[in-house]
Amino acid sequence: MASYTTSQRTSRSKYAPALSLVIPGAGQFILGYRWRALIILVAAAISGFLVNWSLTELEIAQITLGSFITSWLWVPFLLFWMWNVYDAYRLNRGEFTQILPGILLVAIILYVIAWTVTDVKLDRLVTRIDDARLVVRDLVNPDLAVLVENGVERPCSFNCLFTYAGDRIAGRNPDQVVKASENVLDIFGRMVTARAPSWRVRLGLAETGEEVRSFQAGTMVETIAIGLMATIFSTILALPVSFLAAHNIMSRVPGGTAIYYISRTILNIVRSVDTVVWGLIVIVWVGLGTFAGVIALTIHSVAALGKLYSEEIEHIDPGPVEALTATGANLIQTIRFGVVPQIIPSFLAYTLLRWDINMRSATVVGFVAGGGIGFFVVETIRMGGYEQYATALWAVAVVIILVDTISARMRARILADQPAPENLTGRRLTFSRLRKAFYWIVGVVLFLYMWNVAEINLRDLFQPAPTFIRLVGDFLEIDLSANVVQAVLRQMLVTIFQAMLATTFGAILAIPFSFLGARNLTGGSRATVWLYYVTRSIFNVLRSIEALLYVAIFIFWVGIGPFAGMLALTVTTFALLGKLFSESIENIETGPIEAINATGANTLQKISFGILPQIIPPFISYLIYQWDINIRMATIIGFAGGGGIGLMLSTFFGSLQYHKAGTVVAFIVVVVALMDFTSAKLREKFV
Amino acid sequence: MLKVENLTKIYPNGTQALHNVSFEVQDGEFLAVIGLSGSGKSTLLRCINRLIEPTSGKIYWDDVNITAAKGDDIRKIRRQIGMIFQQFNLVKRSSVITNVLSGRLGYTNTFTSMLHIFSKEDRDRALASLEQVGLSEKAHVRADSLSGGQQQRVGIARALMQEPKIILADEPVASLDPVLAHSILKYLELLNKERGMTVLCSLHYLDLVHRYATRAIALKDGELVFEGLPHEIDDAQFKAIYGQEAERVSLV
Repeated sequence: MASYTTSQRTSRSKYAPALSLVIPGAGQFILGYRWRALIILVAAAISGFLVNWSLTELEIAQITLGSFITSWLWVPFLLFWMWNVYDAYRLNRGEFTQILPGILLVAIILYVIAWTVTDVKLDRLVTRIDDARLVVRDLVNPDLAVLVENGVERPCSFNCLFTYAGDRIAGRNPDQVVKASENVLDIFGRMVTARAPSWRVRLGLAETGEEVRSFQAGTMVETIAIGLMATIFSTILALPVSFLAAHNIMSRVPGGTAIYYISRTILNIVRSVDTVVWGLIVIVWVGLGTFAGVIALTIHSVAALGKLYSEEIEHIDPGPVEALTATGANLIQTIRFGVVPQIIPSFLAYTLLRWDINMRSATVVGFVAGGGIGFFVVETIRMGGYEQYATALWAVAVVIILVDTISARMRARILADQPAPENLTGRRLTFSRLRKAFYWIVGVVLFLYMWNVAEINLRDLFQPAPTFIRLVGDFLEIDLSANVVQAVLRQMLVTIFQAMLATTFGAILAIPFSFLGARNLTGGSRATVWLYYVTRSIFNVLRSIEALLYVAIFIFWVGIGPFAGMLALTVTTFALLGKLFSESIENIETGPIEAINATGANTLQKISFGILPQIIPPFISYLIYQWDINIRMATIIGFAGGGGIGLMLSTFFGSLQYHKAGTVVAFIVVVVALMDFTSAKLREKFV
Repeated sequence: MLKVENLTKIYPNGTQALHNVSFEVQDGEFLAVIGLSGSGKSTLLRCINRLIEPTSGKIYWDDVNITAAKGDDIRKIRRQIGMIFQQFNLVKRSSVITNVLSGRLGYTNTFTSMLHIFSKEDRDRALASLEQVGLSEKAHVRADSLSGGQQQRVGIARALMQEPKIILADEPVASLDPVLAHSILKYLELLNKERGMTVLCSLHYLDLVHRYATRAIALKDGELVFEGLPHEIDDAQFKAIYGQEAERVSLV
């Protein structure tokens, strides 16, 4: 924010305050503070609109003065207006002014409205604590196994398993047997007797129609297959797309610049629609199932990867390309020999990162597309099986943490980009070849198996349901009639406010914990190092589960609606911001602190002059980043009963009102793109 | 014979890089192109193989009008002109042999080269080129594991793959340790004297010009200000090319 007061003033005008009185920010504008002017104008316009909207639509902050009904929120609004005039007056005299009062006044307006719109009832968190206790008890006692004793089965969770293990070692209760519960088998898979699949018959391992014992994949295996197949497909599809969206390549082709702009626009639109929303569209195309999940994930990740890949192509070293052109190589040869070798490491790294993200999305895409653990969660919650739901959460946490770790390790190794050890000879060469062959075989078998599990059926892709074309036409015929737009706008605002409150609450909770999770603060001494590990583990476990999966807990606790959705988002915000904040605390340089220490400063002075200036910029940057994520997440939180635009979208899809669904998706695209743009600009400006 | 006539280049941003430059180069010459940074040396060399489109003027090579060539014809001209760059411009992550082989792409079928298939003849030629620059044992290491001087020698080997009649060298030694300059320029001299290739080489140091070039031209702000034998550059000429403030420096 310092940039406002230090920026060079270009002119002076005694009319500045008067101009600001008429149009907020106009005075600042002619004084040369362009950015400040723009922000003041936008803030005034938005808060004015919101005060009026919330009064007429929802009677928020309504007060009656005699026969006159108005909103008391006009008071902070007028104060903001007056501050803007005063600000212009001070700026004109070349005096230092604070922007903080302006921010505070707008914040009051936004938070009061947000509080009511998202239906925040903090008291419920306390009054319904007994309900929460029930859920938490189920969460820590997931349905894992059954203990069989004298032919009687009873459920067995962590506690019981520990006791059982203890008994085994000590030799007590020999007639007790533990086996995996049906629920665990549903999640991970079980052996079944079924008709031999066609590949077995073809390989001569079974007769046609023979019954064989085979492994039936559980929902978690399906989820892994969805994430893996989508990553492979989207990588293959994103490769050619990324060249069409790379400026340095397309500028060498006649008419390429137009193709570049078109592809970039399409990528941005596709990317701003969440995977889960794509799922809704895809099920009309290929029907419910894991395959629908794979397609939904693929569509979104082609766009995301295409953008990252093309930016990577734009940042290559142009030297080799020039050299190859000079040898007389044609464009395709130049790409093959000059561009491709340069981009391989970063492309691989992005693909691995995408795999991580896709695995997370695969856990929730089943909410709408059917298949995978998301579908399992929907089913168990519908039946009130919270112990079974708890098992799913634990399974997701384990798998995602594993994927996260593997992906991060492999990325680090790829980006280090060490040349392969040269001149291997004799046995080491043989060994290295054998290992390579082994990886290839495992990879191919895994691919075929996952293909099978994900029920990939390319024929379905080209034989969409007969109604599909008509539905797409209906969908693209965006309904812009006044009452639809008003209703969509209202839900969109709810969604934005959910994201805003979740970011705020998540950050407030994350700040104290982030200090506990910073290695340089708590990791130093034996007495506190456990704090570091506990905090970081909490962050990692909570972070590995998507917000959509948490909603069920909060619905039970505070009831269906935007408040539950907001709380679910708060949990993921807390976990991600906590991790990021801790890391930025760990990155503090000790040099400046030492220097301030050397001046004889006390502890408080050290914190405010040595530590805070180092952590506030990254904190703000991460906050904006998180806000961006939350906006996207808030658009889908409604699919699980979390309120907002997602609820509306699934209603429209469910009742086949595709033209209205089209309106919702169009709103989402515009809002997400707008937020994306502003947050990028803000991060550039402040950090 | 290479003939440049009234060559002018104005960049889209208005910078005039070359202004009415005309000169001739006989086959088998080693022509040094000198001048300050930004005087238009790089633009001039890149106009000759059409990496940069001249705004006006003509370049004839024997009787072929290079500036009028289109599409595939440009590539056929390019593959007969080798180029060596200040920053070597190797694909750092590819092996040395791949970098050298890529010099042959202008003669190779697109489809087979996509699959990285090169003829036995081309592979032998690549190994022979590497041997000429003394790097045969480095054929299968990655290009970025070589030193700067070695990388530039790979650059020369790549140009040799084209069996060029002309070599354009754009500041080939400016990114190298001065003591390595001679080792690189000696290779160029060898190609010039023993294999009769015409060399156009931009250089910074006058003593290198004296030592290797058979003739020199000088550019100042995009205009040709000198054309003649290297030893003809006296103090007056020197000041005209490099400005009144300049002092002669020499390379070890």
